Amino acid sequence: MKLAIDETRCKGCNLCTKVCPYKIFKEGKKANRRGIIIPELDRPERCSNCRLMHLYGRTLCGVCQLICPDQAIHWVEEQPYEPQKVAIEY
Amino acid sequence: MSFEDWYRQDRLPHIFCAGCGNGTIINCTLAAIEQMAWKKEETVFVSGIGCSSRAPGYIAADSLHTTHGRAIAFATGVKLANPDLNVVVFTGDGDLAAIGGNHFIHGCRRNIDLTVVCMNNQIYGMTGGQGSPTTPRGCISSTTPYGCAETPFDLCELAIASGANYVSRWTSYHVKELEKSVLAGLQTPGFSFIEALVQCPTAFGRRNKFKQVSDQVDYLRTHTMLKAKRDRLLDQGQHIPPDMYIVGELARRNRPALGVK
Repeated sequence: MKLAIDETRCKGCNLCTKVCPYKIFKEGKKANRRGIIIPELDRPERCSNCRLMHLYGRTLCGVCQLICPDQAIHWVEEQPYEPQKVAIEY
Repeated sequence: MSFEDWYRQDRLPHIFCAGCGNGTIINCTLAAIEQMAWKKEETVFVSGIGCSSRAPGYIAADSLHTTHGRAIAFATGVKLANPDLNVVVFTGDGDLAAIGGNHFIHGCRRNIDLTVVCMNNQIYGMTGGQGSPTTPRGCISSTTPYGCAETPFDLCELAIASGANYVSRWTSYHVKELEKSVLAGLQTPGFSFIEALVQCPTAFGRRNKFKQVSDQVDYLRTHTMLKAKRDRLLDQGQHIPPDMYIVGELARRNRPALGVK
């Protein structure tokens, strides 16, 4: 699973940057076509929910999805054999 | 299946302003309903008039968008006509405390099996930022340009005094706690009242020195105190700051309820 922001729904309130325990969401810099500055994802492979959602069979943290007032944050299935980055945390 | 399936995808994105907390409260409520495993055909959402009351329009279940302040009155009718339905009421502070105040008190007194989620943004947001009965003292709105001089309503105390079975208060920052609280309210037979303080960046925040949405969310985070901590401080005889909101489960009891299936 991987984290995705729906650009058609996000209104750029940056609430997700406040709640993520890993600080995955960063305030964006460039406005998109609708003039909305959408948050950027900083190494989204660190998200615990992405890695462990299938193993546990439930949403583990999900605070960003719950707090997003515009229902823009969701998890999508990866394509088969999609290259993956691995983040090592110390 | 997640709570996303309860949304009407064709109606999204919704019309709430950027950073409005109402969407958060709908997320938490739907996540709790999802855990109850209710069917969409057996669930009815009732709302009055206001920003918060647009919520049922985005939910793929039966809904009733009623006149101003009369959401609980209509919900009483729905519940008593068919007690098998699960009725959830979305309402705002102007809807519940000002125009529908008497319906609220009598809903609590009758202890009907409803779950009322009140999105308290402390202002009339939709009509242009007039002061509501829950606007805190000293806050600026378009009808109180020199600061609100009235003492605000404490809706939770009102619900406890009127006899609701389950009363709790959370904010839009405490999403997980709010979800658990709504779940407990849905499971409790009888009237359950959940007050959720939300940020209103357009009508409340920009008049009251909250330039960013996150400033007001930070205020909600830092100016809330758990009920257990409040009780501990009272026992020790310490001072509690007057601008603190007491959050947590404020009442849970087992009074005789009406309309339980």
